[in-house]
Amino acid sequence: MLWLKAWLEVRWRFVFLVGSILVVWLAPLWINATGVQPGVAASRQWMGLQLGSVLLYIFTAIYLAGSGINSQTMYAATTGFHGSMFFTLSLPVSRRRLLFVRTGLGALLTCILVVIMAGYILFLRPEATSAMQALVYMTRVIVCTMAVYALSVLLACVLDEMWQFMVACFFWIFVFMLQSKIEVVSRVSSLRGMSLNCYPITAPMPWTPVVASLVLTGVLLWISVLVVQRKEY
Amino acid sequence: MNLRINFSSGVPIYLQLIEQIKHAVETGAIRSGEQLPTIRSVAEELTMNPNTVARAYRELERESIVEVRHGSGVFVAGPQSSTTKTAEIRKAGEVLRTAMEKGMALDLSKSELRRVFEDELSRLQEKAAATRRRT
Amino acid sequence: MNDKLIDAHGLSKSYSGTPALRGLDLAVPRGSICGFLGRNGAGKTTTLKLLLGMLRPDAGEIRLFGEAVDAEASSIAARRRIGFVSEDKELYPFMSVGQTIRFTRAFFPGWRRDLEEKYLELFQLPLGKAVRKLSKGMRTQLMLLLAMARGAELLMMDEPTSGLDPAMTEDILRALADLAASGGTTIFFSSHQLAEVEQICDRVCIIDEGQAVIDGELDELKSQYRRILLTFDGEPPNALAGLAGIDHLRQRGRTASLLAHGNVDAMVDRVRELKPSSIEVRSVSLKELFLDHVRGE
Repeated sequence: MLWLKAWLEVRWRFVFLVGSILVVWLAPLWINATGVQPGVAASRQWMGLQLGSVLLYIFTAIYLAGSGINSQTMYAATTGFHGSMFFTLSLPVSRRRLLFVRTGLGALLTCILVVIMAGYILFLRPEATSAMQALVYMTRVIVCTMAVYALSVLLACVLDEMWQFMVACFFWIFVFMLQSKIEVVSRVSSLRGMSLNCYPITAPMPWTPVVASLVLTGVLLWISVLVVQRKEY
Repeated sequence: MNLRINFSSGVPIYLQLIEQIKHAVETGAIRSGEQLPTIRSVAEELTMNPNTVARAYRELERESIVEVRHGSGVFVAGPQSSTTKTAEIRKAGEVLRTAMEKGMALDLSKSELRRVFEDELSRLQEKAAATRRRT
Repeated sequence: MNDKLIDAHGLSKSYSGTPALRGLDLAVPRGSICGFLGRNGAGKTTTLKLLLGMLRPDAGEIRLFGEAVDAEASSIAARRRIGFVSEDKELYPFMSVGQTIRFTRAFFPGWRRDLEEKYLELFQLPLGKAVRKLSKGMRTQLMLLLAMARGAELLMMDEPTSGLDPAMTEDILRALADLAASGGTTIFFSSHQLAEVEQICDRVCIIDEGQAVIDGELDELKSQYRRILLTFDGEPPNALAGLAGIDHLRQRGRTASLLAHGNVDAMVDRVRELKPSSIEVRSVSLKELFLDHVRGE
């Protein structure tokens, strides 16, 4: 029943994202019905698509991680969830399990959307893509997006809805700016790991950012559990 | 039995119950050998605490006014000599009338008199209950 | 039976430096219906949250069903046997009444279908309606249903009848009396409605400024406490304030009002020595007991 509750909490966000993606992503198709053509204009278009895709991966992750275990005690006018947390906490269920279910469902939905978007990118590619290349791309996009998701889960445990969103966005903008200046950041950056501009489809798996993202995801989720267990409601 | 409890009175509820049940027995509203309503039904009818009802029943049993037959319920105790009871009641009525006339002579209103009477009565009951508890 | 379902000692809790509870002791024996009274901000909701593990105490220990509940696992084990109604009566706005019931039911293997149906019928709750569309009164009823139907041994409720009309309040009290009578359910609830507490509770705990000032059986309290009203020919003598066994003394002009407990007869004798022109001894209602202990006069 916890999975049902989590789904009921997050479904409208999911629907909104599906709708937005259809509108945003189908647009290039209308502009260029035959996919991206090779050439200068096309490469700009392709880069734009890449940037857009990365932005959408990030946005999806941040948005679906919100309304986490915390927001239901905040008097958030937007969600109207305030107070129901006390009912939830009075049930014989551990906080870890509550977090696990909510986070698990959000992660699953994020991955679904990310796979759809990534698949679409591959479809638009001017050159053919081998199955192995597709697999490599999917994997790195999923893992790197999960790092974004995990950070937002942690933020959602301590901040209310709106603040979580803003802090997360600014964090990744900050990373984006840092990665062009600082070598270390650019090597582990999850943002670069998601982008085909930085690591083209023909390149091998960029292990550094992918492993860094994996580790980051694990650490952030573990901290989230600790935070939620110690929190006073 | 027609039971009515004043919950906000200073008189403990279990004492009010005891009084009313005793009164019911004396006036014949419930006769010896008849079963008292179950604790649960009294609690439900009066919307009150069943523990308090249970306490009243226990006190009544201790005073031998009722007897508990395990498995069957609570019954009014064996035949009281009704004639002596009525005579005793009449005698008490005479004593009280004299006292009340004296009280009226002190220029107390009826409600003041009643208040004094009830306070003294409940104080006596508690003293008796307290003594019984200690023994 | 002597076992205490709730047994808390020396509970202390502060919020950013402001103390909410200062060494609260609380004991609720099995089978009792205990009313928890106190002014707003006295610490009632804090106490309930501490008992359920939503907050951790700064000091003190809590035992529920005889087991310490400081670790999450033991708190969860206790919660399987507890029904809770929160102050705000907030449930999930996106669920319907029926979904909420099915959701809650899944956590309690001892769920009582008969009680669920009985209260659904009594409260006339529409199964398909979304919780966000329910009035506060109906949300309260739903929350009470969820607490009572789960077959809990202990009910903990924060102002269960606030916002309900008198007829519904009576229905709730009757349901509680019935739960206590048939299943021996122990009930612990905070309230501002003194009349209800007098009606249904056999125990009362009054909390003021984070400490318990009264804790005992209601009938015993009514037996032990008396108000002594005195009139003097002149100013009441100062010796009045020094009398032992006096909880509160209020003077106005030539009259004095004492709240006394214990051996009232001996006290009346001592008071008589001060030669008042009139003495009246009256019993005390719960309202008087409450006001005298929390107004700090």
